[in-house]
Amino acid sequence: MADRIECDVAIIGGGPAGQAAALALSGHGLSIVVIDEQPRPGGQILRQPPARFAVRGWLEERSYRPLKQLLGRFQALDDIHWLGSHSVIGLQRGSVMAMGPEGVTTVTARHILIAAGCHDLAVPLPGWTLPGVYAAGGIQAFIKGQQLLVGNRILVAGTHPLQLIIAAQIVAAGGSVAAVLFAQPRSAMVAALARHPLAALRRVPDLLATAAALRALARAGTPIHFGTSLEALIGTDRVSAAQTSAGTINCDAVGLCYGFVPQSALPRMAGAQMRPSGPAGGWACGHDDFMRTSVPGVSAAGETTGVAGAAAAAAGGALAGIGIALDLGLISLEAAEHAARTPRRDLAQHRAFAALLDAVADPRAYFPAPSADTIICRCEDVEQATIAAELPVCQSANAVKLATRCGMGACQGRNCEPSLLRMMAKAGNVPETGFTPRFPARPVSIADLLPPQ
Amino acid sequence: MERADVAIIGGGLVGCATAWRLARKGASVVLIEAGDINAGASGQNAGSLHFQIERRFLENGDALAEQGAQIVALSRHAVIDWRTIERELETDLHVAMHGGLMVAETAEQVALLEAKAARESREGLTVRTLDGDEARAMAPYLSSGILAANFSADEGHADPRAITPALAEAARGEGAQVRTGTHVRAITRENGRFVIRGNGLALSADQLLVAAGAWSADVCALINIHMPIYPVALLMNATERAPPIIPHLVQHVGRRLSLKQTHAGNLLIGGGWPSRLAQTLHGGFDLSAKAQMIPESLTGNLLAARDVVPGVTRLNLIRSWTGVTAITSDQLPIVGPVPRMPGLWVAAGGSAFTLGLTFARLMADAMTGDEADELSLLSPARFEHLNGFMG
Amino acid sequence: MSADRITQDVERGEPITIVIDGQQVACFAGETIATAMLAAGLDAFRTDQRGKPRGLLCNMGSCYECLVTDIATGRRIRACLAPAADGMEVSTRG
Repeated sequence: MADRIECDVAIIGGGPAGQAAALALSGHGLSIVVIDEQPRPGGQILRQPPARFAVRGWLEERSYRPLKQLLGRFQALDDIHWLGSHSVIGLQRGSVMAMGPEGVTTVTARHILIAAGCHDLAVPLPGWTLPGVYAAGGIQAFIKGQQLLVGNRILVAGTHPLQLIIAAQIVAAGGSVAAVLFAQPRSAMVAALARHPLAALRRVPDLLATAAALRALARAGTPIHFGTSLEALIGTDRVSAAQTSAGTINCDAVGLCYGFVPQSALPRMAGAQMRPSGPAGGWACGHDDFMRTSVPGVSAAGETTGVAGAAAAAAGGALAGIGIALDLGLISLEAAEHAARTPRRDLAQHRAFAALLDAVADPRAYFPAPSADTIICRCEDVEQATIAAELPVCQSANAVKLATRCGMGACQGRNCEPSLLRMMAKAGNVPETGFTPRFPARPVSIADLLPPQ
Repeated sequence: MERADVAIIGGGLVGCATAWRLARKGASVVLIEAGDINAGASGQNAGSLHFQIERRFLENGDALAEQGAQIVALSRHAVIDWRTIERELETDLHVAMHGGLMVAETAEQVALLEAKAARESREGLTVRTLDGDEARAMAPYLSSGILAANFSADEGHADPRAITPALAEAARGEGAQVRTGTHVRAITRENGRFVIRGNGLALSADQLLVAAGAWSADVCALINIHMPIYPVALLMNATERAPPIIPHLVQHVGRRLSLKQTHAGNLLIGGGWPSRLAQTLHGGFDLSAKAQMIPESLTGNLLAARDVVPGVTRLNLIRSWTGVTAITSDQLPIVGPVPRMPGLWVAAGGSAFTLGLTFARLMADAMTGDEADELSLLSPARFEHLNGFMG
Repeated sequence: MSADRITQDVERGEPITIVIDGQQVACFAGETIATAMLAAGLDAFRTDQRGKPRGLLCNMGSCYECLVTDIATGRRIRACLAPAADGMEVSTRG
């Protein structure tokens, strides 16, 4: 716990939101620390290959262009202290504890921005703990950041249209996709689109990216099935096939793609007001029109405030940066309001599109059914039946946790909390909160928390 | 209106155990819990079964040490209660009584250990005093900095997640009613009975037991009685699972430390390090809000753990949490009938994991007319002066 | 099965070797331990309480399914985040 850094602004997350906030704050003479778990900035959307790699034509699809420009401008900043390969484990007003390869650094800051992104919703079904079963975003990150295909015959399944993009990236990288399965029928997706025609029109490029992915998959002969749901994943020591509503599909890797939930541990730990996130579940951090949370000195932007995509994250990050400049007395309210107009408009538009995407991708009617012995809490090996037995007597997620160990493990409930809350809701109990957030947000070596001996 | 022989407020270990004991004796019992069973200190504590005199009794001079020593008489009952409870409930509660070590690192602390052992032997508790090498022979995980230790063969730990739900289940099995999610809004005296009202609740009972932990003073206030019970927020820490290395309960005579390894393999590290309670707008403590961790408490606790069991530094900390327990104005728990108000019983004020089964058994005896002299040390009567204008 | 490195248009860091549960694994500087393991066909990062192998799930540091032990430091590290270093020894056995 030797290291201490004092700064004006600590930004947690080097994705589009954190980058845009840093750019908005740069040039004011502030000391700014940007903390990220990855060694290089970019976030999950631009998960960069290591500096030791040279990749020609990396993420050349058109939709990545504005994000790569933003990243380029961020990387060109010379007044940013980049604290990569650091995981934030604790957050209180004015102070952030970050764990890195050499130990824990405490960053004290006048203002903190949480731009921690989101993660794939973990979806339990029989066989999902077999090696070879991934969150679809994890497969994509291996391609983007490590130039690795996790299998020779990858099945992608879920409800989220992003799986088309991921499947197309697998094919473009020379891989083979066994099939793309949408659990919902095509008619349900079309109907959802038809309910939001304006939002859809405004984001034609995003829809075109999906169309391009569809064409690429058609050229590769990749089957795309709608109304086909996963029932179980099969294998002994690793996944070898999937049992679906349309029969068995052989595969050596599976990507589950049912949606995304905000990284909510840090705002919850700070005590910020949260609200239920989109249909996939999870908790989004509430904020005002300058992205301030309910905790003084703590702002939030990007997917932490609700999963709405990288463009919304960039707009929210810029807005948060303007708000922080205002709060630190660097600009007038008038100037802040003026500067905020564009990012506010962008944020609203991108969120409208995200609402459309949420409707198209809504997984709630299509989750696979766990069986009695399906593990819900992967860290503590808690089975569905064990949790189900407690539902009649437990009113809160904490009570189920205490009774069953569900959520007590190393991931701090990130994997299992949405599943548990769905089970509780199905049993007629919709709790207002999930697990009480605990320090540390990520497990940390005890040696790292202590002064050297 | 519903009627019962006994109403119990508080679904923690003491409330559930008393409900079970009373129901087994044929009493009609309604247990009322505002949240979930086991949601307070009973489920949040680290599960120590400690029978040696606690460090907190030793650090405030001879008079308090002498008083603290008397509670050892109850510990003898608690040893038996814990050794028999799994058989009685026919449930695995992960009770592990493989002995406990209270260690010393300095010459002063060694002297404190010796004085403590002498006091304990006067109260009928046998502990062995070991030098550092003897302690390490018994417990190879101990640091070379340990100069001496007291060993009590009966100490250990049990699973706080398991015991109270099992007791609630047993109480239900004996016919007691357990009402969770039920907030008590008002308590009145009508024709010598207690009338308790809350959401979905209108109950008339001959006797009332308040066993609501840190909330007990507030519940007593509902019936116009003062009870000097104060909330305390304590930090506890859990590591990731590790192979079995520590069979004992480990405590420290001069520093705040308790350390044990659960049946699942996690090390639990606590020992009385404070967190900061949240406050209400009016300046009181807000027990409904999360207490804030104090970084110095975390460091202090982990340092004590490292100095006693150096191997802990290799493990990951996966969770720090705060449990809200209670202390009384003289540190001893308050357990028994309130003289000012016949029929009213209180059981709160700490030590209620180790001694809770015993409190419950003795109170159930006393409430049904049997003798329970062992509780006199803890009687609320010692605070009767506070209630001279109450009731 | 094994995962495949994408080779077209990609230059990696210099070849290095790490040791997983005593087994030599060839990989490249810049790769994570997870990439090195998967490319070598090692997809079990731990064993669960049922004795079943577990793979990694999220590849972004959140799921904690890929915790392995760095033998030199005794640290438990996430294989999906930790870079492979030449000669590094890693255990998946706790």
